[in-house]
Amino acid sequence: MRQSDSHEVSQLNELKIDVGALIFTAHYFLAGDMVMCEQMPIYGGYAGGLEETTIVDVATTINAFVMTHATWHLDGPVHVRWGITTAREALAVAGHCAMAIEANTNLMLGNQYYTIAGPCTVMCLLETAAQAMTDTASGREVLSGVAASKGVATNYTTGMEARMMAEAARAVAGMETEKVNAILDKLVALYEKDYKTAPKGKPFEECYDTLTLTPSQEYLEVYDKAVEILTGLGLDYWRKM
Amino acid sequence: MAIAKNLTVFDVYERAKTGLKVDENDWDFKIIPQTASRLKEKWGIKMDKKTIIPTDRKLMDNLFQAGLEMLVECGIYCIDTKRVIKYSREEVLAALKTAPKRAIYGEGKQQVVLEPRNHKDKKPPVIQGGPTGAPCSEEMFLAIHQSYAQEPLVDTIVDGVLQTIKGFDPTPGSPWEIAAVKSEAQLVRLAQDRAGRAGMGL
Repeated sequence: MRQSDSHEVSQLNELKIDVGALIFTAHYFLAGDMVMCEQMPIYGGYAGGLEETTIVDVATTINAFVMTHATWHLDGPVHVRWGITTAREALAVAGHCAMAIEANTNLMLGNQYYTIAGPCTVMCLLETAAQAMTDTASGREVLSGVAASKGVATNYTTGMEARMMAEAARAVAGMETEKVNAILDKLVALYEKDYKTAPKGKPFEECYDTLTLTPSQEYLEVYDKAVEILTGLGLDYWRKM
Repeated sequence: MAIAKNLTVFDVYERAKTGLKVDENDWDFKIIPQTASRLKEKWGIKMDKKTIIPTDRKLMDNLFQAGLEMLVECGIYCIDTKRVIKYSREEVLAALKTAPKRAIYGEGKQQVVLEPRNHKDKKPPVIQGGPTGAPCSEEMFLAIHQSYAQEPLVDTIVDGVLQTIKGFDPTPGSPWEIAAVKSEAQLVRLAQDRAGRAGMGL
């Protein structure tokens, strides 16, 4: 690792730490490393509901810069029932926390991505787009992902999900908040009713030619379908190219 | 009131050894939910989940004040010492004031500048692509990470975790864990190099 890489240290749920994390931090601090302090507050967990979880998220974010000498904080509000960061409630916690911090500080913030659907599915790409829109339009500095299939299935992640994260971010950068919110409300409604039947998708080796590292024709068509839906909702990023 | 000096992780550790003893269950099931609930009422915070990004400046300010108060009032619980690490409000504000405002992520042609943006910024965020801690097989780890590094809009890589190392389970706290972590870093660097992105941040 180089000094210019992000050195990770994690807080624990909620407002907790272990001595091991402080030892990591001491090493990073004395080595002059860039530090990324991570924590994923749980909506519906110890803190409680929407407002309580957001208050804890703000406290946790601030603590990253007090306790661990963070260069930036990596958030990841997660829904207790679904284990994802793309649920409406998780997005609202992240969006409100980022705006509260932005309105009062110049801290640098990121967010991490855990979708319920897996690679090579329209649902996964729409979930990713919703979070990228939220994070970009609430002033976050870093988007980090995507751990598709909730980040628990082996080899169920590919570069195509990151492509969507990047393109959806560009599609809303500079857009008025009211317009982003209106699109987000419709977009999240498209997938939030399907959590129980979310498609697991396909593993990397079925999404890409593993020698040439070219995405499959099937995945490209799935991607185009997601783009078509997002364009229909009012994102004109893909029309401009 | 002025503070003598900014807190360091060493001060934090000393407080973890001397702070108030608290039962962890009390922390999780009483102190955290009760304090969050009380601060929600005190600051009159009401959110509507259909409005994912707030536009009400007062709500943003109240959320910030409630979060700041939560941190100062509760502190942070150290699970190893079973004690609470407390800060003064002044110590917290001093840390926020002096927090980094700029960083160079990566090296050379692939470096990106990390600096504050705002919600209306036309400049997009830094894109950190990768499995974000999701498990990858030893056979596919390199290819998966190269698939991110070859995406032109991806600025840096966030890696996945090796499910096995030389066929063994990288159990936390075992020598295999160290072998796995070192291999992950080496393989991500190789993936970046093979994609023509040498110097890219990790």
